[in-house]
Amino acid sequence: MYKIYSEHFVLPPGFTKKLLLFMKLTTLMLFLAFMQVSASTLAQKVTLSERNSSLTTVFEQIRNQTGYDFAYTTTTIQAAKPVTISVKNMELAEVLKKIFDDQPLDYKIDYKSVEVSQKEPSFLEGLKDKAAKFLALPAHIRGKVIDSLGQPLSGASVFLISKEPPYTYGVFTDNTGEFDFPNISQNHYTLTVTYVGYSKLEKTIQVNSKDILLRLVMHNSPSALDQIQVIGYGKESKRFSVGSVYSVGADAIEKQPVTNPLLALEGQVPGLSVIAMNGVPGSTTLVQLRGQNSLATDRLSFKPYDQPYFIVDGVPFAPQNVNVSQLSNLANGQSFSGGLDQAMGIGAFNNINPNDIESITILKDADATAIYGTKGAHGVILITTKKGKAGKTTVDINANNQVNAVARPIKLLNTQQYLQLRREAFAQDTLTPSSDPGDYVSFAPDLKIFDQNKYTNWQKIIQGNSTHNTDIHGSVSGGNGSNTFIVSGGYTRSDYNYPGSFSDQRYTLHSALTTVSANKKFDLTLITDYAYDQNNSAGGYGNGVLLPPNYPDLVDGNGKLVWNYKNVPIYTNFYAGLLQTTTLQSYNFNSSLNLNYEIVKNLKIGASMGFSRNTGTEHSIDPSTAQNPSYVNIQAAFANNATQNINIDPQINYNKTIGKGELTALLGGTYEKSTSDFYQAQAYGYSNDAFLNSINGASSLSPYDVAGLTKYVAIFGRLKYVYDQKYIIEFSGRRDGSSNFGPGNQFGSFGSLGAGWIFSEESAFKNALPFISYGKLSGSYGTTGSDASEGYKFQALYSAFPYGNTTPFQGIKQNIPINLYNPDFKWATKKSINVALDFGFFNNRLFLNATYYRDREGDQLVEYPLAAQAGFPTVYENQPADVQNKGLEFTLKSTNVKSNDFTWTSTFNISFNRNKLLAFPGLESSSYANQYVIGQPTTVVFGYRYKGINPTTGLFEYYKADGSVTSSPDYRPASQGGDAVVIGNRETNFMGGFGNNFNYKQFSFYVFCQFSSGTQPNALSALYGNNYPGFASNIPAYVLGKYWTGPGDTHATLQRLGSSYNSPYVGSPYYFAQSSGAYTNDTYLRIKTVALSYALPDAWVQKVNIKNASIFVNAQNLFTITNYKFGDPEQPGNFTNFPLQRIIAFGLNLKF
Amino acid sequence: MKKLFSYKNKVLAGGLLIALSTVFSCKKLIEIPVNPPTQITRQQVFADSSTTITAVAGVYSFTPGGSGLPYKDGMLTISTALSAHEVIGGYGDQAQFYSYTVTPINGEVSSLWQAPYSEIYQVNDVLAGITNNSNLSPAFVKQITGEMKFVRAFCYFNMVNLFGGVPLVTTTDYRTNTQLPQASVDAVYTQILADLDDAVKKLPVTYPSSGHMRANLYTAVALQAKVHLYQEKWPSAYTEADSVIKSGLYDITTTPLSDVFLDGSAEAIWQVPILDKYQGSGEGSSFTPYSSNQIPTFIVTDSLLNQFEPGDLRMANWLGVNVVNGQNFYYPAKYKDPYPTSPATDYMLLRLGEMYLIRAEAAAQLDNLVGALADVNTIRERAGLGPSTADATSKAAVLAAVRKERRTELCFEFGNRWFDLNRTANNTKYPASGQASAVLTGWKPDFALYPLPQAQLQLNSHLIQNPGYH
Repeated sequence: MYKIYSEHFVLPPGFTKKLLLFMKLTTLMLFLAFMQVSASTLAQKVTLSERNSSLTTVFEQIRNQTGYDFAYTTTTIQAAKPVTISVKNMELAEVLKKIFDDQPLDYKIDYKSVEVSQKEPSFLEGLKDKAAKFLALPAHIRGKVIDSLGQPLSGASVFLISKEPPYTYGVFTDNTGEFDFPNISQNHYTLTVTYVGYSKLEKTIQVNSKDILLRLVMHNSPSALDQIQVIGYGKESKRFSVGSVYSVGADAIEKQPVTNPLLALEGQVPGLSVIAMNGVPGSTTLVQLRGQNSLATDRLSFKPYDQPYFIVDGVPFAPQNVNVSQLSNLANGQSFSGGLDQAMGIGAFNNINPNDIESITILKDADATAIYGTKGAHGVILITTKKGKAGKTTVDINANNQVNAVARPIKLLNTQQYLQLRREAFAQDTLTPSSDPGDYVSFAPDLKIFDQNKYTNWQKIIQGNSTHNTDIHGSVSGGNGSNTFIVSGGYTRSDYNYPGSFSDQRYTLHSALTTVSANKKFDLTLITDYAYDQNNSAGGYGNGVLLPPNYPDLVDGNGKLVWNYKNVPIYTNFYAGLLQTTTLQSYNFNSSLNLNYEIVKNLKIGASMGFSRNTGTEHSIDPSTAQNPSYVNIQAAFANNATQNINIDPQINYNKTIGKGELTALLGGTYEKSTSDFYQAQAYGYSNDAFLNSINGASSLSPYDVAGLTKYVAIFGRLKYVYDQKYIIEFSGRRDGSSNFGPGNQFGSFGSLGAGWIFSEESAFKNALPFISYGKLSGSYGTTGSDASEGYKFQALYSAFPYGNTTPFQGIKQNIPINLYNPDFKWATKKSINVALDFGFFNNRLFLNATYYRDREGDQLVEYPLAAQAGFPTVYENQPADVQNKGLEFTLKSTNVKSNDFTWTSTFNISFNRNKLLAFPGLESSSYANQYVIGQPTTVVFGYRYKGINPTTGLFEYYKADGSVTSSPDYRPASQGGDAVVIGNRETNFMGGFGNNFNYKQFSFYVFCQFSSGTQPNALSALYGNNYPGFASNIPAYVLGKYWTGPGDTHATLQRLGSSYNSPYVGSPYYFAQSSGAYTNDTYLRIKTVALSYALPDAWVQKVNIKNASIFVNAQNLFTITNYKFGDPEQPGNFTNFPLQRIIAFGLNLKF
Repeated sequence: MKKLFSYKNKVLAGGLLIALSTVFSCKKLIEIPVNPPTQITRQQVFADSSTTITAVAGVYSFTPGGSGLPYKDGMLTISTALSAHEVIGGYGDQAQFYSYTVTPINGEVSSLWQAPYSEIYQVNDVLAGITNNSNLSPAFVKQITGEMKFVRAFCYFNMVNLFGGVPLVTTTDYRTNTQLPQASVDAVYTQILADLDDAVKKLPVTYPSSGHMRANLYTAVALQAKVHLYQEKWPSAYTEADSVIKSGLYDITTTPLSDVFLDGSAEAIWQVPILDKYQGSGEGSSFTPYSSNQIPTFIVTDSLLNQFEPGDLRMANWLGVNVVNGQNFYYPAKYKDPYPTSPATDYMLLRLGEMYLIRAEAAAQLDNLVGALADVNTIRERAGLGPSTADATSKAAVLAAVRKERRTELCFEFGNRWFDLNRTANNTKYPASGQASAVLTGWKPDFALYPLPQAQLQLNSHLIQNPGYH
């Protein structure tokens, strides 16, 4: 099946059904939400035994037992009498009744808090009040805002608003949580207190002349809407956010048995695509937000991958998601022909333990990313690690054991099928297999010399194992109100699902300290992460799985490698790779220090300082035991790398209430210095394998080193004003400088303007549609930049001869030019529009977000590909092209059922991105002339329209430009007289994920599915691009019954067989790989994560002094539904890759 | 409400702002050293002659990116030897050369096209760097200019014979160069000869450094002779080959056949060192079998073997043989050892033996048949063979004798045989019996030129594919 490119939003055939399924599911979730299975509050029982205690003491007792807070002012309870009470397991309501019975006080229960007020005033006091009221004396209103732990909340905004006459008073609480309105005229006021992360507190106050002292307790908001989300250089409440920001919390991450935290994002975030390059433990992943904005660079048929800017705890991390390995290992050279051009190897994110992550925030639009200026063009991913929580010191231990196996194995031919196919291939070529090695065309040792009955399932040997992985993570955390700490350690061992004993072992140590001074004016956060990763890998992976099934044994009885079978040389022995080991030791140190000091009320100065250093040491060997004894060349390679980043970001934060609104302002700067050093040495001429660990043991060396340096400097600012809790306006900007550009091009300015309207706060709306508890319309427009270049590339550079083992020329060390000279390149600029609509229904039980965005990247800064005649394949240059990505993203989150025993929550997201080359003056005369079409996506594929198999010749046939049919089309584009036309578009049509989380009593069950649909190279393209059916190489059993068998065969879908490169029919498959026949719709739905856990009953665990204990089973890549023929749909166009793994983890979690 | 900013605080905050902005508006913060730690700028390279010479050494190392001319990986030799049916075998894309099924996406073709252009860029950059450079002495500039132009001519000579007319790049201006169309074959030859003329004017008789590694006058003249032979300018070819032979700098008799391709060979006019200190030459590592009981990857064809007369010492010295199952398999062994040897094997790019055969062929075409045979016999004598038995009165017979001697003397040597086949194909000046169409199964005139790499056609829409590859 293949798909002809269409520029409309057309769903591929067959997918409609699946989409319908999603829709049904969504409807079901909505329905259940409408049902509103309501929760009843837990009945609270209290036991008290007090004699003549103060009222505050009694309140404290109750608070400890029930979690209910008491709101009162000190003046209120001045008149309170001592309390004597003795109750056992009595309902809270009754207890309160008893306590207040005898007091001159009234109380009111309001969502987990008890408000205490004075009873009607006595006559005298009443007289005084009446007089004051009559004289309209202003009152003094003071108060203190605290959280449920009694800690003061500094910076909470407090408003007093009256309707008639319209008065507005607004202040922020100071560092002791207190606020002060000195002269408030008599009126009826609404008092609102808001603080990020807490539910809004609202109460009406009747102000007469009497001074009022309030004690206001704020509660952590149960609603996602009011939770804090991390943004660039700050935090905000989702409620008042106007940017496109999405957070994934620890709860979603920790259920996935993955070692790379980026993999845990797959399908979770609308608009974010995450690609696992292969199933090798520790290998890199590719991450992309809202499509590809840059034109191709370097190699024409491949696109570079725009990846977001990564920041871990404020420290820039792994720019462009680089790999940390230099030497070849199993994670290298695993390019699947997904059309991506990205270095592969062990990824930097392998050094971060997902268990240490509190949240991952994805900043998508210009409003959220403009503050990062040139770093923000392709999105920003902020990783926030865990910090301690105040309270009793807690020990948390999590251990699990995993079983891995190939997620989607393919079926290859057995000996009988293989030999039959080979014989047919010779017959179709009208050749006779020969045992004569001199007969180059017909020599077929597999048919004439090898054992005809031997069967080795190479695939089973190489990929068919299952491995056991171990993951242990423990943390100790705690602290009091002003100091918290966490220390956590982790050990992860992932074995390669590969013959031999290879593994990736990671040791991590995470710690975080926070402290706040006694006067609350100064705070400090220090976070330190250290990781050590040791990856032992085999050498090159090769295509071992495709060895003929009757291939001779490659290891003899003595364990020695076999290089010759009955005089047929074996050139490459799969087992040699197992002896050619590579070891990577990677050390990651990431540390950040954040300081803030309130110099005057509402004005804080602070600074963040970050330091990260990732170093690696690598060693690979090629011992004599891995080599053909007649050609022994014992060698090794050594490599070191160090990338380091230092950043200093001073900041000033200022808050002020203006009218009915609050203004927050940020002004900051950043200085960043990144350096990288790479060193490699190939070491040759060892006399003995035993020396291979020493660089000194080599008789000759060929070293290579390269170092990079980039400095950045920027000043940035953000102004945000929220008026009356309804209207939001936000401006942010950044002026950025980078040493990667030449004089005159170093600085650029970027900025954004965002606005939001919380229409659900409008009373007309509230009255008309009361079931809509939250509604917000927000939008932004802004510019960001991209400096996708390297240091010093604006200069013409020469390097000492950088390649291989080259000796000096006549004693002179050579210098050669390494780049073309273009001093003029500058920032690329992206302009983005983002419009979002947010709804919360039924008291925010159901959230819906719909976002539209349109990004246009111009002045494209690319490594512009050049014809070889220019001397170099690329040059850094700006191209006048405008690439547009626009799309829609939908997110749905709902709490379907919430009762004492059972809760069910759901999430769903889907996103559609459409790419288009808007304009490109001079495209026809550029290097891109044959790759892009104005008005079409940059993902279009040029090739031939595939017709089918010619029943007479048995060859693949294609349509020529004029509509006639041929087996050898003209490769030139139709515009130049050839037959190559646009045959497809490789962009993802849609992608997303949905998850359901069920909690029933002690059981918790989570299932998450991820889906994606797009046009991708199908597995046949790999089949015909490599060794085509009939060659001396095993192939998927899929081809049986599909290839052409002889004249008149009209049912064939694959062309006639060919016995070898000398077959007369090898020509047309070359065209096939570039035809529409090699592309197919690749749609899949993968049950990505299933997690089941059971919390052991408290009665059991408390006996052994354990607070909580649970056991769990987590599974990754459990099951896949797809139309993809063979191979993994996540690794399109390849079936010999190191396959993605299905992981099932069994574990235990203990809390002390 | 308390006044938000006291005077003191205003000053403090204002001061902070100013401090921040002065710090961050400063360009100094992003100043970096003039060159990165492991590289130098072009200005630093051409600052004086001692650094300029390092760039010249880079040009002579011929391996930018690992495979420049003369093709470290042996690709020029291997692909043309397969196309000329001197050998059979190879893997993957290589096999296409033998069967004339070379496609525009053949990876070897791609490197045959790209490598010389990297080299030409280096040459052009050195020329640009030394021209009007007051840091360098005029004598030095003259010498280096001559050397660079010679190297450029050599590159284009290979290009025009592999691909026909190719884009003619003589500057480093990438904006212009990347979209240049192919020049005509004549224009390429005009450029080659112009460069060689200038080189001849500028180069001294003595080699500028030890050995015969950098160009002197006679390396340029020797290449002129070869170019003129290919252009059928017989008198020029004759005179030039003659002047090289008579220069007295080279000697065909002193170096034994086994050592001809080693460093210091007396017949070398131009050889460059194999700089891969561990793996040796691409030819050596590709042609030499892993072990003596294995079938070589590339087997010398019977048609070439049959050209060697009994007793030809070249067969023993320049061919290797493996006996497998009682059957002889010959493989090319001019570059013997995949390991560096002492004295080292050098790439032999121009040598005296070829000059004798150029003079012989030109003489024959100029009807000096006796002179032609005399040169052929000089070569035969060194190979341990008696004088040619060709009829000295028949021009056709003498030309056939020259051709046969070229086949055995210059086999698997940087495309000589393949270029000979193509330049004499359908050419009535040469005996028809040995022409490509007669000796190469499956050969067609279109296949004389390799296809342009498809990626290049995509990058430069001004390029036109060679006929026969659509």
